[in-house]
Amino acid sequence: MYIIGNTALYLGIAIAVYALIANLIGIKNKNNRLLESARGGVLSLVFVSSIATFLLLYNLGTSQFQYEYVAAYTSKNLPLVYKLTAFWAGNAGSLLLWLFLLCIYAGFLVFSKEKRNPMMPYVSSILLLNILFFYLVLVFSSNPFKMTDIIPADGKGLNPMLQHPGMILHPVTLYLGYVGLAVPFAFAIAALILKRMDAEWIKLTRRWTLVAWLFLTLGNIIGGWWAYLELGWGGYWAWDPVENASFLPWLTVSAFLHSVMIQERKGMLKTWNISLVIISYALSLFGTFLVRSGVLTSVHAFGDGNLGTYFLIFLAIMLSLSFYVVITRYQLIKKETNPIESYFSKESSFLLNNLILVAGAFAVFWGSMYPLISEALTGTKVNVGPPYFNKVMAPIMLALIVLMAICPLIAWQKATVEKFLKSVIWPLAAGVISAIILVVMGVKGIFAIIGLAATVFMFATHVKEYIDGTRARRKATKENVLKAAYKLLTKNQRRYGGYIVHMGIAIIAIGVISSHAYVQDVMKTVNLGETIKIGHYEITFQGLSEHQKNGNGIVVAKLDTTYKGKSIGTIKPEKIFYETWPEPSTEVAIKTNWKEDLYIVLSSWEDKEKATFQVKVNPFVSWIWTGGLIMVFGTAIALIGGKTTSSRALRLKQRSAKAGV
Amino acid sequence: MSKNAKIIAGLVLAAVALSILMFTSMPSAGSKELKISELVKNSAQYKDDYVMTQGLLNKDSVKWNADKIELQFEIYDEDNQTLSVFHNGIKPDNFSDDVIVIVEGFMNDKGVFEAEKVQTKCPSKYEGEDMENYDPKTHQKVIEGKQE
Repeated sequence: MYIIGNTALYLGIAIAVYALIANLIGIKNKNNRLLESARGGVLSLVFVSSIATFLLLYNLGTSQFQYEYVAAYTSKNLPLVYKLTAFWAGNAGSLLLWLFLLCIYAGFLVFSKEKRNPMMPYVSSILLLNILFFYLVLVFSSNPFKMTDIIPADGKGLNPMLQHPGMILHPVTLYLGYVGLAVPFAFAIAALILKRMDAEWIKLTRRWTLVAWLFLTLGNIIGGWWAYLELGWGGYWAWDPVENASFLPWLTVSAFLHSVMIQERKGMLKTWNISLVIISYALSLFGTFLVRSGVLTSVHAFGDGNLGTYFLIFLAIMLSLSFYVVITRYQLIKKETNPIESYFSKESSFLLNNLILVAGAFAVFWGSMYPLISEALTGTKVNVGPPYFNKVMAPIMLALIVLMAICPLIAWQKATVEKFLKSVIWPLAAGVISAIILVVMGVKGIFAIIGLAATVFMFATHVKEYIDGTRARRKATKENVLKAAYKLLTKNQRRYGGYIVHMGIAIIAIGVISSHAYVQDVMKTVNLGETIKIGHYEITFQGLSEHQKNGNGIVVAKLDTTYKGKSIGTIKPEKIFYETWPEPSTEVAIKTNWKEDLYIVLSSWEDKEKATFQVKVNPFVSWIWTGGLIMVFGTAIALIGGKTTSSRALRLKQRSAKAGV
Repeated sequence: MSKNAKIIAGLVLAAVALSILMFTSMPSAGSKELKISELVKNSAQYKDDYVMTQGLLNKDSVKWNADKIELQFEIYDEDNQTLSVFHNGIKPDNFSDDVIVIVEGFMNDKGVFEAEKVQTKCPSKYEGEDMENYDPKTHQKVIEGKQE
């Protein structure tokens, strides 16, 4: 077993090197047989990486404690699903997962219908470079098949925090996103090397980019969901450097998804798009560097430095390569880029949206790096926390929401102000009316009200656009309302899928704004029979009890709870003392209704009849998860639709046109 | 000047505005990371600063008043410099063991550190490594989870 695992890794290095060389020589000598052989190499990589992956899964599933990795992250009595998902609990496993996904992606690409595309050998080479890097790191820095000196009787067990469905999904989804970014990056660089300045690479990678973005979205939201349910501090986002690391590429890819539309349609913003895709890819590596190196979390400094260093070196290599390619092709890109024609047009509004998203990314990056920057400049490390991020990101997010409210109403090329004003009046009115209603209802907080009103404005714009579209279609086709609405969606899936994503963001925004501005928080020590009052809730303490489950000691508090005087049952927050883990973990008790969560944490206790609780009422948090689902749904619609086959036909046409010239 | 250039000029202006926003909110939102000995020695200099510091917990010094939800304890650094801390909030888990305590807050006139945040981390090596190997976020969350 040991031999198979390590052979699979070393063989991977050899094959990756071979395929890379075969590609390069094949490209140089236009030798199709060598290129074919490189393709075979990629296929073998899919094969050997699968072997390594399944072997690790097998080791984990059957508790082979002679392997360090298995011993470090699992234990005998761990449920099987967590034994298996301990795959991505540590460095070595996560890197192997990353590598495996990368190989699968590369395999799909080189055997796709585009395999004869002249860009493909370049794309394959760039992906192979990535694959090679991960193999090297696996072998030389964190080998998942490393043996222990003495076989332990039992493993150390998985951190209880990670024994949660959110942690089964969160890392995988993020990796799928990170890895996916390598594909558009590889195509962009390949197109540049070949001096193909059209939007072909964008069209070919549209789905890849969208899928990567979808997974980044999911990864972030699931991460927040996990934090909210599992960590017991009552929030879902703490602006931790590592969270920021996964948020950064999301922001730049979001920008990219918008700006590519302009290049596709108008041939504008080419340098910008290439820069965005390079930056997004670099941020995915940078994020991993941050997570793995521990440079920024120095107060929690457990870092083993060298893995981070590897990532930094690789990042530097890839960035220099990209930079070189862009600089040498810059004049050409510039020559073939069309200038923007009008200030008041969809193009410039997209540009503005891009700038805001990138500015947001920069602000987050700056805040995350500030401890390092300040230490280098002044010698004193200054950590910036949520106050900085909230202060800077709130106006940026507000601007984005307003832009999302306005953008869909602005026409391509040259919009007229009158037409725009005519269409904006109703959504804007909806926003203003909602603000008035909030004020009348006695809701406080001017910034939150502005934010909520802007969100309603944005939501209303999208509803109006959809209604207008349906109406126009009915006029033309005489279909009934439902059919027209359905057809409108299926005929323009990219557009309306995107709108649905925007509406999901609106729902999330309502959750985020309200849960930040209107959270209620009570911390209280109560004796048996005493009551905590918060909002419309009354919570009566009925004592602590203790029991054993799976060898873990569990302390449970019984709380009889009423909402507006009516009983809503007994709520039981817990503290679990794990056999295999030195720290107890907090099991939050949450009672959700459509507009708020009652969130109770058992903090500590003096005896069975006296305990301290942290109780929160978090308004609209469940809207964040709902909005996330809506975003996924919208992205799926955009993915399934918008066939790129037409772009293939277009390309053929272009090619013949070029040949004609 | 082409339209492109004009648009870019406008955007650059917006970017400048944003940077100003960022830079001005920076000092007030940050916490200075200091060693206990440095903080105690120059307490006058840092009296208006939001400070982050860390040290080992003196187990015997912990006083927890559950009714008022007040926590008092002492931490010390490798120079054996002691710092008294007062925290109006929850007592973290494992607050009786050998833990490293990270505190954030202000130094008051009496030389007591009034902590707004109290977090713990385990000095045990395997423990730390495990956490790091997973990812630091988790650890961050673990300790944040505890302080509130």
